[in-house]
Amino acid sequence: MSARLTALVAGFVAIALVLAQDVAPGAAFYHSWQYALALAVALALMAGYAAGAWRGHDGPVGRRLVLALAGLAVVDLAGLASGLLGPDTATIVGTPGTVAPIPVLGAAAFFAPADADALARGAGSVVLRRRGHSAIELGVGTRRLLGDSVVSLTPRPALYVEAWDARGAHLTVTQPAGTAFLSPVLQFGTRQRITDALTVPVDGFATPAQHRSFRALYFSPRDLAGFPHRIGDPSRPAVILTVADDAGRPLGIALSQGGRLALGGVTLRLTLGTYPALAIASAPDPVALALGLGAFVLGLIWVAALTRLRRRARVAHAG
Amino acid sequence: MRRALLFLASLFLLAGCYDTPAGTGGSTGGGPGMLAGAPAQSFALPRTDGRTDGLANYRGRVVLMNLWASWCTPCRQEMPALERFAREEAGKVVVLGVDQGESAGVAAAFARERGVTFPILVDESEQYGSTYAAIGLPTTIVVGRNGTIVRGIDGALTLEQMRAAVMPALAAATPR
Repeated sequence: MSARLTALVAGFVAIALVLAQDVAPGAAFYHSWQYALALAVALALMAGYAAGAWRGHDGPVGRRLVLALAGLAVVDLAGLASGLLGPDTATIVGTPGTVAPIPVLGAAAFFAPADADALARGAGSVVLRRRGHSAIELGVGTRRLLGDSVVSLTPRPALYVEAWDARGAHLTVTQPAGTAFLSPVLQFGTRQRITDALTVPVDGFATPAQHRSFRALYFSPRDLAGFPHRIGDPSRPAVILTVADDAGRPLGIALSQGGRLALGGVTLRLTLGTYPALAIASAPDPVALALGLGAFVLGLIWVAALTRLRRRARVAHAG
Repeated sequence: MRRALLFLASLFLLAGCYDTPAGTGGSTGGGPGMLAGAPAQSFALPRTDGRTDGLANYRGRVVLMNLWASWCTPCRQEMPALERFAREEAGKVVVLGVDQGESAGVAAAFARERGVTFPILVDESEQYGSTYAAIGLPTTIVVGRNGTIVRGIDGALTLEQMRAAVMPALAAATPR
């Protein structure tokens, strides 16, 4: 393989690796030494060729190709800087209706309130407010570039809990171990290993007026499909609830895929759905990317123009 | 279905054989104290007297908002001092009770029984509780005349502590 081809291949690999940070953000690989090494090797190959080409070792085409390679080098460096110096990937699980400070973005994230219907529809949004900037509203599936970070919303399992006593009086639902003490929305912030092969989201809530505490294990349709017995409707997620009294005595266990349920003397209405979490990942600097890709394209056009001129000159000479 | 439930119950038992769950994601906790300086959020809710009300209706006045529930022992203990404070500071401070998660009937019966005269919002879906980062009950939020949170306090307060809590808000200049 010629030095020119090697440098170009290294450049294309570097572009692919760097743009991957924008296309599929959040992978731990971008912060690994292997990723940094790959970009550094690509940079060295491009620099090695460019140094020779600039001195005329590869003719006029090689000299013009230096501009394109310089653009690739800028893209490579932007990716390297983002991987090495950018913020680590983080997922912020915010309770609906709350505000969470995001120091890495210099912003506050407003997690939209959500009722049972919104959870069932998977509708949730987060508004990012930064001093001196207009507010940015993020919906599930959208992604925005903020400085050296990519922010996006990823849906997570959530359970909306409503509870009543035997007389039909509405009960306060608390989450003594949750991120929000007073919230009817369980967000399964922890995972529990239940077999060697299966780890599932787990959460808990209490109805203090009735002295009951509940624990909920969440099973996705994929988890349900892996069980030897058919459990409910395998196309929908399910929760297993256990209930205990204040002394920790178990009072019952039930499976629910949503709807009303009586357990431990409490009537529950459960709504299974999703609520988004805010994912933050590092991203290459957009200005550097634009400049680098611009220089790369200009460099290629310059090379193409030279090649075309030469071809015309050859045709004219032959004629 | 019974076999399936037995299977699931055995999974639950197995779950206990492993160590404590591994955490994922960040936490947004921190309690009501961290809210000072933030704009006070308002939700329109029914009151125990049937009217609809919300924090936004008291803009321009100093508000002491108390989140409580009838099952909460410290809330019950705090209520006489809160009622006395509401009577003493009437005209200067609005006291707004917000029952967390209970039915209007339960909240109204509790208020009647305790002789509570200040307005009580019935927040069945605990919107105020989650938004104001309550980490327990009672939780007290002092809102200034300009609609920003002056203080957020976790736990029951004495009459003197209530007076001290609203002092900075009362001392602040009235917004134009």
